[in-house]
Amino acid sequence: MRSYFSDFPKTALQASYWLFVIYLLLPLALMMAISFKDANFVAFPIDKWTLKWYAQVLQDKQFLEACLYSIFIALMTTLFATIVGVWIALLITTEGMIARSVIFALACLPAVVPGLINAISMRIFIRVLDIPTGTGAIILGHTVHAVPFVVIMVLTRLRSMPNNLVDAARDLGADSFVAFMRVTLPYLAPALAGGMVFCVLTSIDDFVRTFFLGGYQTTLPMLIFAKVQGGMSPEINAMATLVLIVTAAVGLYAEHLTRRSRTR
Amino acid sequence: MQPVVHFRNVNKYYGSSLAVDNLDLAIEPGQFVTLLGPSGCGKSTTLRMLGGFEMPTSGEIFLDGQEISQLPPNKRNVNIVFQDYALFPHLNVRRNVAFGLELKGMASDAIHKRTMELLSLVKLTDFAERMPGQLSGGQRQRVALMRALAPNPNVLLLDEPLSALDAKLRQQMQIELKSIQKTTGKTFIFVTHDQEEALTMSDVVVVMNAGRIEQMGDPHTLYAKPRSRFVANFIGETNFIEGKLKAVDGGLAAIEWNGSVVHANLNGHSPTIGTTVAAALRPESISVRSDKPANTIAVSGRITQRIFKGDHTSLTVDLPGGQSVVAQLDPVALSAVTGDDVWLTWRESDAVVLAD
Repeated sequence: MRSYFSDFPKTALQASYWLFVIYLLLPLALMMAISFKDANFVAFPIDKWTLKWYAQVLQDKQFLEACLYSIFIALMTTLFATIVGVWIALLITTEGMIARSVIFALACLPAVVPGLINAISMRIFIRVLDIPTGTGAIILGHTVHAVPFVVIMVLTRLRSMPNNLVDAARDLGADSFVAFMRVTLPYLAPALAGGMVFCVLTSIDDFVRTFFLGGYQTTLPMLIFAKVQGGMSPEINAMATLVLIVTAAVGLYAEHLTRRSRTR
Repeated sequence: MQPVVHFRNVNKYYGSSLAVDNLDLAIEPGQFVTLLGPSGCGKSTTLRMLGGFEMPTSGEIFLDGQEISQLPPNKRNVNIVFQDYALFPHLNVRRNVAFGLELKGMASDAIHKRTMELLSLVKLTDFAERMPGQLSGGQRQRVALMRALAPNPNVLLLDEPLSALDAKLRQQMQIELKSIQKTTGKTFIFVTHDQEEALTMSDVVVVMNAGRIEQMGDPHTLYAKPRSRFVANFIGETNFIEGKLKAVDGGLAAIEWNGSVVHANLNGHSPTIGTTVAAALRPESISVRSDKPANTIAVSGRITQRIFKGDHTSLTVDLPGGQSVVAQLDPVALSAVTGDDVWLTWRESDAVVLAD
């Protein structure tokens, strides 16, 4: 552990850290608190507590369908982004490959291009190609956005891989495909797991791309957006709380996985 | 006997630079052969061409009489122990050793039996379920060795496998490697830049320089009868006697050196009389005396340095011609100290004429 600003007064430093933590967590805490309020208005104080909003949300067919739809899109996105991302990372580390930095820059571009620009360009693109808006278009848009995360994570891991592991596998009788499946892929596993979770999270969280590329079926963020437009209610808070808990758990787990891949 | 490995006119270029230059090398089965040379001499390239990781630019490589130069590594019945072991980090010791056997499609109980046998050979049965990251350097080395031996290769290749170990462990592993080679009866081809390692373990040492073989032979011959200045210099410590060749007589050369004429073993060379020749003379072949010996050629000089090295004493003697000679002797053999004048003699056959 390091220590920063060690000549500053300790209590002042700690107080400022805590202030920041409160600033981060207070809105979330308030949102969660309201989800237990036994009234139709989103306001304080909370006189009576209830779980009825959760019961209502969990029985809400629209909500459950949106959840399943979002998860389906996220999984498909992850599948495609992982295949493409691993492929690009392998391409970049291939011996004698020219223009590696160009390939890398192009692959990472979608991560830094503003979501709105990305979404509009995709919209124009699918119209040119006559691809209808809807599930396929959404998955296409999400995949483009998710690929850079996979590329960066897999590339980091791949670069730490000793060169002669594959040579050793070849030497012991593996052809190049078997060597990839039995040595390279297991070596990449922690980075792959981390990258895949990030794909799922960015896809589930995405609103802008879905908004431009989507059809009639609503994803979770679109459903929540529609509900908010219809007026705030503790039911929305309950929905958001559920989403928050699930995504935070998955995200922290992914962080744990990638940290392990960096240290091992 | 048919050689187990045969390189025939093998050249290897990297771009325009020549790494291996018209190599001709035949290796007899069951021997411990070392390719010895400084870095960049082509020894590792030679090994990698045999393993299938590099393809020769021209020439042919035979394994058991079969041409293999263009086969991929997985189609050759040789296995390699890499310098940094290259153990698979996601597999435990047992699965690492079993890797090659699994790919051969062996039945799983047969794999288990052979794996455990091999691990017991290096006393690692208790470590079978450990991951490579939990092992010491020497243990990893042994696992890598057993993994490479498991598929029962014709020839085992070892690419400087001891260079990452500390001195003590390295000596221990040298002995262990040699005894494993003896018990398995396999051909080992070992690459190193460490001449002591080469002399300790090998039946045959191949000294390489600039992509060519300088000399090939058993350790004793290489040490006692080096063919070239490079070999004499690379293996052990040596003095060079350089001067005009006066005469040749009965396998001996008479060389004008330092004001007198000294004799050296021609060692099969036939240099022209009148040209400058060089001969190698090992420090321990020189005897140092304080009085001029009768009936034998001797050279006089003055001691400029005397270093006690435990099992021997090293003397540096400056000759009138400006050269200095290093002699090695028994620590108590001579009481002479720095500044004393001494006489140096040696058996004529111990000085060896060199090729260049």
